[in-house]
Amino acid sequence: MDGQAERIEWIGRVMVGVRAVLSFAGRGTAVPLAWRNMLADKRRLLRSTSGIAFAVLLMLLQLGFRGAFFDSAVGVIRNIDGDILLTSSSKFKFAGKDPFSRRQLYAARAVEGVESARPIYAEWTISSWKNPQTRKIYIAQVLAFDPDQPVFLFPEVHEHVEALRQPDTALSDRRGRRFLGFAPAGTLTELSRREMRIIGNFALGPDFSSDGTVITSDRTFLKFFAPHQLAAGELADVEFGVIKVRPGYSVELVQHTLKQALPASIAVRTTAEWLALETAFQNSGSPVGPIFMLGTAIGFIVGTMISYQILYTDLSEQLSQYATLKAMGYENAYLVKVVLEQASFYALVGFLPSWLLGVCLYYILGEITLLPFRMTFGISVGTLALTIGMCVLSGFLAVRRVLAADPAELFR
Amino acid sequence: MTDLNAQEARATVRVDKVSHFFGEGGSRNQVLFDNSIEIEAGQLVIMTGPSGSGKTTLLTLIGALRSVQSGRIEILGRNLSGLQGSDLIAMRRNVGFIFQMHNLFDSLSALENVKMAMQLAQCPPSQMRRRGTEILERLGLGHRIDHKPKALSGGQRQRVAVARALVNRPKLILADEPTAALDKDSSRIVVNLLKELTTQEGCTVMMVTHDNRIIELADRIVNMVDGAIKSDVVLRDAVMICEFLRTADLFKHLTPTELTNIAEKMKRRRYQRDEIIIREGEPGEEFFLIGQGSVDVRKRGTEAEERRIATLGAGDFFGERALIVDEPRSATCAAASDRVEVFALGKADFKHALDTSASFKDQIQAIYFQRQ
Repeated sequence: MDGQAERIEWIGRVMVGVRAVLSFAGRGTAVPLAWRNMLADKRRLLRSTSGIAFAVLLMLLQLGFRGAFFDSAVGVIRNIDGDILLTSSSKFKFAGKDPFSRRQLYAARAVEGVESARPIYAEWTISSWKNPQTRKIYIAQVLAFDPDQPVFLFPEVHEHVEALRQPDTALSDRRGRRFLGFAPAGTLTELSRREMRIIGNFALGPDFSSDGTVITSDRTFLKFFAPHQLAAGELADVEFGVIKVRPGYSVELVQHTLKQALPASIAVRTTAEWLALETAFQNSGSPVGPIFMLGTAIGFIVGTMISYQILYTDLSEQLSQYATLKAMGYENAYLVKVVLEQASFYALVGFLPSWLLGVCLYYILGEITLLPFRMTFGISVGTLALTIGMCVLSGFLAVRRVLAADPAELFR
Repeated sequence: MTDLNAQEARATVRVDKVSHFFGEGGSRNQVLFDNSIEIEAGQLVIMTGPSGSGKTTLLTLIGALRSVQSGRIEILGRNLSGLQGSDLIAMRRNVGFIFQMHNLFDSLSALENVKMAMQLAQCPPSQMRRRGTEILERLGLGHRIDHKPKALSGGQRQRVAVARALVNRPKLILADEPTAALDKDSSRIVVNLLKELTTQEGCTVMMVTHDNRIIELADRIVNMVDGAIKSDVVLRDAVMICEFLRTADLFKHLTPTELTNIAEKMKRRRYQRDEIIIREGEPGEEFFLIGQGSVDVRKRGTEAEERRIATLGAGDFFGERALIVDEPRSATCAAASDRVEVFALGKADFKHALDTSASFKDQIQAIYFQRQ
């Protein structure tokens, strides 16, 4: 699996980094005071590290949830084989029904540089799905495409294109929510109260607005959800128009031409723009995105407080030692350096076990929630930066204690 | 010995009219009142006085741990007055501090604690281990250099702290009860080392202590009361002067107590050839006894040319006439050899000696009238 390979690669890179930090700490002839101070009391080190590690884990989980949330929201878009998506210009999120006339697809095909313009039909609200085991009814996301013009990148969809041409057949999401039931190939169940046969599965997983997904051919879809249009021989409305740009043409240029050729009621966005739009909507338009950032911020604050407490206690116990350094002629800058170094070491020592634990928890949470929890480079480095940030911030707060130490008071 | 004398000619510590205040505005409280003292290289000086007498404040000022507020302090030929921040901190690197508490980092080994000092002196890394080990060995800790303070006894810890203070070979060492936490053996090792540094390397040690073993070795005892230096006794000089006085004719009939009283009040001075000691016509403030070298007595009187009337040698004295008759100096006395050492006795102390010691008075008068 891709995520697995990515994980292993990151573990390797982090190990190299840790080794570099260790050799830096013990390097040269200068006395590694910060390093020694951190290691002086093993029991306290364990206590301190677990305190910081707790805060790190809190941040990792919040960021993991956030990542999973955003990733799941764009899971389908990532699996669409196209450069540009046409939608109704009033559509503001992926999973909100707002179809447009298929006629526009034909118009799009006439535009220079367009290789293909293929439809995706979608239903989110009246698409009731019967759990084949419990016979209970739930709502599922239904996506449909023309088997002559495939649009999805799921390998299983490719495999089953021919089989989908048979009426009343569908592929179901094997990572859908448990309550949707288990529907292996050959299962007979109901979609929108009509009997339907499952001929295979693909892996997508739920997101925060859908519990599972069903993919059908356009004919099956229209039969189920727009029978009158099918009967009347009308062109059914489509949810997305998937544009592929002819090789040698720039996507931006074709996008520009499409905008001119199509009415204002059609929005012409590149796939990247759609990903950004979706993320932006989840980040600000939905209440869920900000909650995770708040959670991360709370983790940061808790971590800063724990780290400050640790450093403050440590410095207080060695106040006369630091005052002695001042009497010996050490500048304040050196003391600040030692304290910040020590804070950074705490950050690294606290981060590493949390990160490893985080990798495990991500896997477990991914299995439980079926959401795409991925320990990405961004989350790893971001959390490491936040961890160092919180320790250094607390270091700056705690170092005032040492800076206020008066060497003259060593004489009494 | 010549080297030592050259160093001794320059004071390591020169404190001039230093006052100090704590607090601000209404709660401003004066803790030092117009203190002046000069300490020559190679002296082991003990500071005594009740707590709150200002002795530690004076030490912290000399050690550049505080900024000088009023007056002037010079250490090792450099002026501390007006120094702030980094300049003040840089001065501290020339001073070895030994505190009552060892203040060692528990996380560092004995050698690493010492290295913390060496790091500041830009010691070449290749020499750090050798020099650190050397000083620790000298303090009897050669077998413990890699031990953490927790694995050392109290005395050993304090010795590591001493090693840290001395490893950069500071010419000025300031100590606060360095032996208070020491067992007998550790104390002896530390005290002997400090004494050795003063006599052999010309270091100056200023120390607050109540330890008799150290007081015995002190060259000088400075007593402070209520923020002012009350007495300043140069013990080693006093002993030497005493020895010398005993051989001089002038003092041969004095009791040992009278001799000691006078010796303690005498100050040793050194002059180079041709330096004027007293000048004809100036008021007389001191009585002089020649310890070493020779002194020319020159008189001008009403004549145009100055004329040498006598040459005095070791054991001779001069300057008594002006004190006895309260008249200006009747002659000029100048050093006539390369290194002249004289012992000076202030006017008041001289008169006091005359009043209390009949035999001294007789001797002085006998010789004085002989000269008339």
